[in-house]
Amino acid sequence: MEEDKPLIPGVTVRAATPERLVHLCVESFGKDGRLVEDNEFPSVLFLMHKWFMTSDEMAEAYVDLYQSCSDTVACMKPGCNHRPSSIDCQIQIYKAKICYAVRFWISNFPVHFDLDHRLSTVVKRFANLVQCEGNLTLKQLIDLSKVPSYDWMRNMSVRNPSMRHNRKVSLVFNHLEPMELAEHLTYLEYKAFRRINFTDFKNYAVTASLKDNPKLERSIALFNGLSQWIQCMVLSKTTPQQRADVIVKFVNVAKKLRILQNFNTLMSVVGGLTHSALARLAKTNACIPSETQKTLMEFTELLSSNNNFSNYRKVFNQCCHFKIPILGVHLKDLILLHTALPDKVEGSLVNFRKMAQLSQTLKELTKLQNHDNIPVCANMDLVNTLRLSLDLHYTEDEIYELSLAREPRNSLSSPSTPTKPVVFADWLAGVSPPVPNTINKHVHDMVEAVFKNYDHDKDGFISHEEFESIAGNFPFIDSFCVLDADKDGMISKAEMKTYFIRANCHALRKCFKHDFHEITYFKPTFCIHCTGLLWGLIKQGWKCKDCGINAHKHCKDLVVMECRSKQHAACNRRQDSVTNGTPTQELTYSSKRKMSQRQKRNRVHQGTQTEEIYFMDYQMRNSHMNGDGEYYEEQGQLYDRLLKAEEARDKLMAENARLEAKLEASNDQIVTLKSHVGMIRKNTITFILEQMDALHIQRDTEV
Amino acid sequence: MFSCWNRRPKPAVMSKAKTQQPAVIHKVIMVGSGGVGKSALTLQFMYDEFVEDYEPTKADSYRKKVVLDGEEVQIDILDTAGQEDYAAIRDNYFRSGEGFLCVFSITEQESFQATAEFREQILRVKNDDNIPFLLVGNKCDLEDKRQVTIDEAQTRAQQWAVPYVETSAKTRANVDKVFYDLMREIRSRKMEAIRQSNGKKIRKKESKKRKCTIL
Repeated sequence: MEEDKPLIPGVTVRAATPERLVHLCVESFGKDGRLVEDNEFPSVLFLMHKWFMTSDEMAEAYVDLYQSCSDTVACMKPGCNHRPSSIDCQIQIYKAKICYAVRFWISNFPVHFDLDHRLSTVVKRFANLVQCEGNLTLKQLIDLSKVPSYDWMRNMSVRNPSMRHNRKVSLVFNHLEPMELAEHLTYLEYKAFRRINFTDFKNYAVTASLKDNPKLERSIALFNGLSQWIQCMVLSKTTPQQRADVIVKFVNVAKKLRILQNFNTLMSVVGGLTHSALARLAKTNACIPSETQKTLMEFTELLSSNNNFSNYRKVFNQCCHFKIPILGVHLKDLILLHTALPDKVEGSLVNFRKMAQLSQTLKELTKLQNHDNIPVCANMDLVNTLRLSLDLHYTEDEIYELSLAREPRNSLSSPSTPTKPVVFADWLAGVSPPVPNTINKHVHDMVEAVFKNYDHDKDGFISHEEFESIAGNFPFIDSFCVLDADKDGMISKAEMKTYFIRANCHALRKCFKHDFHEITYFKPTFCIHCTGLLWGLIKQGWKCKDCGINAHKHCKDLVVMECRSKQHAACNRRQDSVTNGTPTQELTYSSKRKMSQRQKRNRVHQGTQTEEIYFMDYQMRNSHMNGDGEYYEEQGQLYDRLLKAEEARDKLMAENARLEAKLEASNDQIVTLKSHVGMIRKNTITFILEQMDALHIQRDTEV
Repeated sequence: MFSCWNRRPKPAVMSKAKTQQPAVIHKVIMVGSGGVGKSALTLQFMYDEFVEDYEPTKADSYRKKVVLDGEEVQIDILDTAGQEDYAAIRDNYFRSGEGFLCVFSITEQESFQATAEFREQILRVKNDDNIPFLLVGNKCDLEDKRQVTIDEAQTRAQQWAVPYVETSAKTRANVDKVFYDLMREIRSRKMEAIRQSNGKKIRKKESKKRKCTIL
């Protein structure tokens, strides 16, 4: 079956048996071993053959063709013995073409031969066969010795030693330049992208499932992880301005990613920034400069799904050299093609037309995977830190809850009728969390990296301050005192590793889970969610055992407030365990990651410096305890309180700075005074010595 | 799996040339787990018979002119196939949708469970409990492999107050129905929105008039 208007030059066959395809491939080569008229048929066939047959089957087809040459072509030369020595023998010419085809396969798709042992076995057997016929020139064409090793493709994360540049970089998010961040994200992305092979793409297109497809799954997990990390980094900040600053920083990262032509990571970053968990933060968005907003809009436009991603497709096709495609878009094309067109037509003929169409996408993808020069040089320590930051993952719901906690819904727009309760789903979007072994390895690498860069005196411990700066990369990790299990004021490697491995198992969700129990109130009490009275004589409402908030039965599942008292509980328990001398391991398990924990600790920390703030903090905590939740105000008020507290903190920080300046001035004074003292002392001593000398002389003369 | 499809691009192109004014566009989003047959439904609706040259990368691959109750409209389908696992950007896709076909396979219980999560996310993104939405049980030709009973699916649909339809992309059963039903819902929602905004205007006018008479 042929057609008049080929899709790809030279690919005229629409459907054929595999044997026929192999024959057509051989016929695409000339006597001299070159392709006839730049025929692209062989590249399409070799690229796509795994869609309908295995590589060793295909190699066998060439061997069969070689062995039964005389059936396919006839030699008309009179008196020809069809030996390798005979010139112009059609059979020998055909045999040569077969070898040219196999050579073409080896040199253009070496990866097939390195990763598939059965294929290389068949090809080696073929080479022997050719040699036995005494066809030495042809035997040399079939040479597997130059096939490079693709070991790195087999493994999920083997490190490329040549990339171990030791550029000094900061591991702390706040100090990272957007370009550095963009480059390292690109490095991670490319490493994940280039491992996905033809079979992975094919399996996903056919099954639409990530089952048994770990390399593609890893790439998608990286994508989702980055997007969520960005949301968490933004939401970890307490004031709208701080959140806006983080957003601005990530928009700058996005700009750099666009320059690097890394569209997949760009999609992930922009997807994170425009996610509804962030888009709904009106106060934060008001703090973002209009220029940044414009840039973000432009990126959204570029990556929009409108008109079948036409903006992206246009720009992507214009980009040259190194680029990383939005994998999801191209996966979709493959799935649609596979759904629209059958693999086989007219019984058992391979639908080669479909293969040609699929090859257009797959050729592009595989070509992009083989860029040897990625335009970034990575610092492995930063790569390790980032990789772990992206491994910590949350569910969509958890992040949205957090967003609601940061900037509560307008009370007017909140649904007055009880809607479906927001449940914490166990369903996790198909992508399963990384297996424990991977996590452990990533944690190990990250902790080593942190210690290499921050443990300046190389004693295996890092101090409080050093820890604080790194903690910024991991939103919602516990405070220093929780990590410091043995309370020696320093964190050891082991402590940090234990902590991060555990942190991965734990989820943020705990902070939002209340322990509600039905209860009878003896005075009028109001619901925390709808602010309505809890009606009735007995069992009017439900109370959280941990934090003491009250709610209607139908409201209790809608409460979007953290269970705050759990922190206090954790603190108390911590003290208990210290006094009792119980193993501190247990304590680390009981404590939870909390968004406000670090900030809270700050407050207490400063409290020790000034009486006033300590008092305030004390009061606040008291009101928590005494009120036992009955005086719990609305979220909005709490939020205002939080803002006020933050304001106070800022003021105190300013005061602190002023006092520090004062202290410095005083220190200077002391230094000058000391030098004065020195001078005076010197003068005094010389004076005394002079006096003594004089006395001596006097005495001597008297004597 | 599905023998072949035929494009009907010609009439669309011609009508595009004839009528310059763009028809009303209804934006439909196909959601559901991987492998439930979203793409097959989309393709069945877009093209009917034999297609050799399906081009998934073209800009208008998912846009089609249809006649909805005598009115010419355009349907724009966003098929989320291949991106189901990119959980982080699903949210952004949902935002542009005016109506949703939430598809599961009646032969796969897991895909049915997943619809609850999709519904949750859609409601959150659209912030609208009445968003045009159809629960679609696909692959109803595979009755012998059924894992999700009609009762089960209908109970869920009733809970959500949405219609439930069973389809088969293979036999083409109910394929047009789900798309047309959804478009009708989208249309009536749009009409309602227009009526509401008009109503406000009229009320404003009335109040102005009343003021005038008082004055």
